[in-house]
Amino acid sequence: MKSLSLIVLGLAAAAAFAQTPAPTQTTKKYTQPKTAWGDPDLQGVFSTDEYIGVPFERPAKFGTRKYLNEQELAERAKDVDDLASVHDTGVRPDKGFWKNQHGVDAAAVPPQWLEYAPRASRQTSLVVDPPDGHVPALTPAAEERRAQQKNYFNMRPASWLDLTMYDRCITRGVAGSIFPVIYGNGTQIVQEPGFVAIRNEMIHETRIIPLDGRPHAPATQRMNMGDSRGHWEGNTLVVETTNYIGGHNSISVNGTGGIPYSDDLVTVERFTRADAKHVNYEMRISDPPTYTKPWTVAFELTQEPGYEIFEYACHEGNYGMRNRLSAARAEEKEEAAAKAK
Amino acid sequence: MDLQPHPTYGGPYFQIGSLGAVPADSGVVEGGEIPYKPDALAKKKENFANRWKQDPEVKCYMPGIPRATYMPYPFQIVQSANVILMSYEYASANRVINMARPREASVDTWMGTANGHWEGETLVVDNTGFNDQSWLDRAGDFHSDELHVVERYTRVDPYHIQYEATIEDPQVFSKPWKISLPLYRRVEKNAQLGEFKCVEYAEELLYGDLRKK
Repeated sequence: MKSLSLIVLGLAAAAAFAQTPAPTQTTKKYTQPKTAWGDPDLQGVFSTDEYIGVPFERPAKFGTRKYLNEQELAERAKDVDDLASVHDTGVRPDKGFWKNQHGVDAAAVPPQWLEYAPRASRQTSLVVDPPDGHVPALTPAAEERRAQQKNYFNMRPASWLDLTMYDRCITRGVAGSIFPVIYGNGTQIVQEPGFVAIRNEMIHETRIIPLDGRPHAPATQRMNMGDSRGHWEGNTLVVETTNYIGGHNSISVNGTGGIPYSDDLVTVERFTRADAKHVNYEMRISDPPTYTKPWTVAFELTQEPGYEIFEYACHEGNYGMRNRLSAARAEEKEEAAAKAK
Repeated sequence: MDLQPHPTYGGPYFQIGSLGAVPADSGVVEGGEIPYKPDALAKKKENFANRWKQDPEVKCYMPGIPRATYMPYPFQIVQSANVILMSYEYASANRVINMARPREASVDTWMGTANGHWEGETLVVDNTGFNDQSWLDRAGDFHSDELHVVERYTRVDPYHIQYEATIEDPQVFSKPWKISLPLYRRVEKNAQLGEFKCVEYAEELLYGDLRKK
């Protein structure tokens, strides 16, 4: 047992010193590190902070381009710097998160509550297929569901049931747990023979994925994080997830933004180590009752030096829930008192 | 599972009848008794009397260490050289044990900060950096933020790990004490953790007073 540990440690150390080619200029073929038992080694603590601010769907001006050109990249780099400087200056620029808060009292959010991208990402959007970078059309049934959808934002909740699964600290779902957001963007990958574990920082959910080809759980065993099965295709870990609980979360940041997926959702993720610091990640989404065709989201997981995954005790610290509900009841009481006059 | 030996006792009878009762058991504390300081013992008794409202498990809060190990729900170990991940079915709780150079806790947490090393065939895990929020069992046994837990995991055969934990907390206990119990490997074909997201079942208890009438 102990000697096995030493062998694996040696390989991991070698990978850490490998050269890091620029993502768009790979001139040297990257030699994939392997674990002691011969699987590609994807292990590490990763962050998607670099993708904070990249739009989910592609702005029309970029057409079918997946990447920014040099000038666009320089403009985004300036925005990234302006946003990161909020930590030092306390002045909120009219960009990014602060711009999106128009109509809400953004001044109530302390600037140090957010993370900022450490550098500008080259991607024009997180959605990369269809080629226009837009989520495909909904089915007619899904359009009807969207028309009747609960409004989760800027509303007065009667109870916790009017709020999202994220507000309730239950789950962000598989997609919502790995898509980049304002903080908590850590993902840790741990491997042992026959399993890969993917641990998300926020809300502290972990999937342990068997690689032995066993069948999925029975269809009646539904889970918020679905049921994942993995296998290797060359150096790529392919993870198929089924058994989702439909009707709650959507394929979106935090799982809260879009139209809820159905029970028939199947996601296929691919993890490929690109170099010592990057794992290329993509998720292919198939949900025929909801979307007229499959679509793909892709970005990189980056090992940022010094990044630490912190315990995200969401439910234990959910003062927001009591605050929102008590504020709602207080508003109703005020209104009732005003009417009574 | 209560840590100390005890007779059978009951629960909220009208709602759930015998499901709330706890059968007699000889417990897992070496020496039988947890060495509480007098003030702390009074607090433990108060916790026990109010357990159906106060137990963090009733609220679906994270169980902390060592309680996560002996919850009624399974956990899975994923072992690599630098990191050993333990993922608990209950409430999606998990933690990673750092197997490289030990690091101090950056901040107090529910599950603590774990540094591990091997002593022969035994995994020794040193846990610090706990907040004071979790309980050690359903009987109101508790700790402060000075809790320090040293766990020892030894595989004794293909299906059992002997688990020991030494617990010290100078604010609560007059001396360190130890628990010892076997962990039984789940041997079903294709055993896997289920998903127990219990928050939904605690919301009425936690927020019911704020529901619109």
